[in-house]
Order: sequence, then C-alpha cells, then structure tokens
Amino acid sequence: MNQKKTKIISYWILAGPPLILFLSVILFPILFSLIISLSNWSGSGSLQWVGLKNYIEIIHDRIFFHGLRNNLLIVAISVLGQIPLGFVLAYILYRKIVQREKFFETMIFLPITISPVVIAILWNQIFSTSGLYTSIIRKISNNPRYVVSIFENQSLAIIPILFVILWMYTGMYMVMYLANLQKISPSILEAAEIDGASESQILLHIIFPFMQGVIMTTTIFAITGSLKSFDLIYAMTGGGPAHFTEVIAIYMYTNTFKYYKYGFGSAVSIIIVLLSVGLIFLLQILSRRLDRKYS
Amino acid sequence: MLQSKNLWKIFSYFVMILFSILTIGPLLWLLYSSFKPHAAIVRSPLAFPSGFYVENYIRSWRLGKLGIYFLNSIIYATVPTIITVFFAMSSGYAFSKFHFRSSHVLYGIYLTGLLVTVHSVIVPLFILETRIGIDNTRLGVIIPYIAFALPFQIFLSTSYIKGIPDSLEEAALIDGASYLAIFMKIIIPVATPIIATMTIFTFLSNWNEFILVLTLTSRVAIRSLPVGINSFAGGMSRDYGLQFAALVVGTAPMIVFYLFFHEQLAKGFSAGVSKE
Repeated sequence: MNQKKTKIISYWILAGPPLILFLSVILFPILFSLIISLSNWSGSGSLQWVGLKNYIEIIHDRIFFHGLRNNLLIVAISVLGQIPLGFVLAYILYRKIVQREKFFETMIFLPITISPVVIAILWNQIFSTSGLYTSIIRKISNNPRYVVSIFENQSLAIIPILFVILWMYTGMYMVMYLANLQKISPSILEAAEIDGASESQILLHIIFPFMQGVIMTTTIFAITGSLKSFDLIYAMTGGGPAHFTEVIAIYMYTNTFKYYKYGFGSAVSIIIVLLSVGLIFLLQILSRRLDRKYS
Repeated sequence: MLQSKNLWKIFSYFVMILFSILTIGPLLWLLYSSFKPHAAIVRSPLAFPSGFYVENYIRSWRLGKLGIYFLNSIIYATVPTIITVFFAMSSGYAFSKFHFRSSHVLYGIYLTGLLVTVHSVIVPLFILETRIGIDNTRLGVIIPYIAFALPFQIFLSTSYIKGIPDSLEEAALIDGASYLAIFMKIIIPVATPIIATMTIFTFLSNWNEFILVLTLTSRVAIRSLPVGINSFAGGMSRDYGLQFAALVVGTAPMIVFYLFFHEQLAKGFSAGVSKE
C-alpha cells in the first residue's frame, strides 16, 4: 500500500509539471480560441456574440481563397515535390551512386539549419534588381534591363516562394529517408543483385515496400508543415503585393494583430486546424485504399 | 544494363551538384557582398569586394542592436531547451515505465499536440499573457517555447526509455532506491544519446523561432535575432551592406553549430519517423 502510494506520488512529480504547463499553453487557449471565434471581440471591451458570422464572412472573402489556393500549392510542392525528391536524393546517397556523398548530404541539409527569416531576406535580395539571380540572367541574356517581374502576377507570384520552400526543406526529408534506408539489411540487397535484379527492380520490390510507413509519416509532416508556413513568406513578401502571395496564416495574423479583429482571426485559426485534420484524414483514407490494392 | 547504370549516375551527379550550387552560391554571394558598401552592391552585384569593408558589420551591429538580440537568442535557445529536455525525460520515464492507465491517455494528449500549430493558439495565448501580466517579458516567451517543444520531445524520449531494460530499474528498487533517484541516477545517464539529440534539435528550432517572439513581444530589449534581422528587411534600412552584414550575423552561428553537431542533428530529424 505504502509502496503503491509512493509510486503514484513519484509519477505525478515526474509527469505533472510538464502537463500543467502544456495544458495551459495549448489546450486551454485552443478552447478559448473556439469561443472568441464566435464573437466580434476587438481585444478590449466585452465579448459580443455573433455566432458563425466570422466563418461566413471568411468563406465569402476572395483574399482568403487566394490564400487557401497558395497554401494548397505549398502542400502540393511539399507532398509531390519534396517527398519524392527527398527520397530520390536519399536513395542516391544510400546506394553510393555518387562519390563524396558526405559533402552532398551536407549541402542539401544545410538550408534547414538557417532561420527562415534569414533565408527569406536572402532570397528576396537574390531576386531583387541588384541581386545574384537578376545579375546572372542579365549577363546570360545580354539584356541589362531584365528584372524579376513574376511577383507582379497574381497567379504566378507564389512560384519563387515555392521554389525556395522546395530548396529549403527537401534536405529534411532526405535525412529522414536516409536514416531509415540504412536500416535495410545489406544482405537482402546483395542477394537481389546476385539474382540479377536491376536498379529499378530493387527500388520497386525491396526498398519501396520497406519505406511505405516512413513515407506516410513524412507526408503527414509535410501537410501540417505546409499549412503552418508563415515565417518565410512573412519575411519575404509579407503576403504582398496586393495579397498575391498571401497564405492563410498571414491572413490570420494581419486580421488579428493589424486590424484587431480578434474574433475573426480566431475563426481563421480554427479553420487552419480543421484543414490540417481534414487533409490528414483524407490521406489516411487514401493510403488504406492503396494498401488494399497492393495486397 | 550498363547504359541504365550510367544514366542513373549522370542524373545523380546532376541533381547533387545542382543542389550544392543552390546552397553554396547564395551563401557565398551573401558573405562577400557583406564586405562591400551599399553603392558597390547596387552598381555591380556580382563583383568581388575590392577590400575588406567591415564598416557594415560595425554599423549593423550597433544600429540594428544585434548585440541585444543575440543575447536574447542565446537565452531563448538555452533556457527553454534545458527545461524542455528535462520535462520530456521525466514525462517519458513516467509514461514508459509506470504502466498506469492514465499514462496512455496523457501520452495520447501530447501526440495530438503535435498537430496543434502555433497560429491556432497565438491569439488566446497573447490575451492570456496580457491578463497574467507576463506579456513582453522573457518568461512569456520561454513558457510557450517549452510547451510547443514538448509533444515531439516526449514522443522521442518515451520511445527511447521504453527500450531501456526493466531489470535495471527493478534491481535499484530492490536496493531501496526511490523512483526519483532511479530517474536521476539510472534513466538519465543511460539515455544520454537521445538527450544529446533532443537538446541539439530543440536548441536549433528555438534559435530559429520567429512568430512567437514577434507576436508576444514588442520591446527591443527582449526580442530575438530573427525578429531583429527582420527589421532590416523593412523600412529601417535600405542599405544593402548593412542588411547583408546582419544576415551573415544571423547565419554564421547556425552554420558553425551545424558543422559541429551534424550527425546528432540528422539523428534528431530522423528519430521521429523511424520504423520500429
């Protein structure tokens, strides 16, 4: 009895303090966020209930939908760009197809360690009129007046940002895949090679099935990460010009902290959470379908 | 057969070299441009500097108050990291070795927390901090840093501690050691590898964090380096030389950090998705 009591007390000494901190910073604010999203609170004064008015206003806002579209493009470049590319890069390093693989691994992973804000300002400079990219294109094309004008196009302005995102985060997936590939027993691959299996057969029949679970997990990471994208775009364009590069997180931030529409901003936050839960749910249904097809 | 192998090789070198150029090129350009005065950068962006113009560094450090930001970044990267790792270890021990029914529930709550983004709680968090009066203080930054790092770190620590054999703990219990003594004297020393990984990983993400500091603070004296550097992007400075120097100050520590802890950092990124 006494023994059991000390066990319980020890348990709560170990797990209690972090739990209190976690619940008060995350769980409590989320519930609070739900409540504010049903009001038109402006940060001071009393709450005034407006029901679903904020949500209705959001789904009638064209800026929100442009932001959503940009977000979905970021999801697409992450899931269809970073993940396959990261896999291919990891595979090349794993199979030692190139020499100096440590050097290449370092170069691809390095951008991850740099602050997104620094990356954003740096690439902004590269694309600017006196930037690295602009100058090189001017030299190559022999056109001293060349400028990057893509940011002025409403539907294309997001492309340079997608490029930076692809460059910046692919290394993260590469490292995850590489670590897991290294767990495959080399004897299986040797046996397959002796049996005369080609590179693509090894990839398709041995490596791919082994990595399926990992690919699934990284895809979930990619989706939640994409919906969160804020830092890079905030520092690179701030969502501008004229909301062309806006994403939902920036839309939320501007409405809340610039226009003091706390209720409206909270509603946008809730939508971000619902979207990421929904996308992950969709992904799980898709992968279950895929599993059934395989077996 | 030979042909397809060669094609693979050519393709592989092509992507690897392309990525390397994309990483080295911008960083190299940034570094040497930071030693050129503004006018020289605008006039000939590609040219190497004619001398070592260190004025950019001196002025951006002073004008941009980078010293204060740097100090704050060090505080925000170290203090919450130490607490996070300690909390994650204690929770991990509780969840993996005590076998209580509540441990599954609590562990589940943390795992769901992985899905919660900073953005979805930032508004109420900001209000909450204003009410308690810890907005615009270092404490108000440190607490959320710990809370947001916990889910992933607990995920790592729990799965690691699960792998530590129960016999170690049982022997100590028979010898009359308390649970807390076991935690400090057995679990922590045995878990050193994962502690190293967790520390480096958390340190890096705290160092680069941006939105929490941006929204929860407005006083220069408690803001961090990314927020400080961001002010160079806006109206504060149209001087590219100053901006580049500030960017180098923001980048260099992490590149040095990366070169030192490269292996552990890669482990941290891969640990979370490992297939058992």
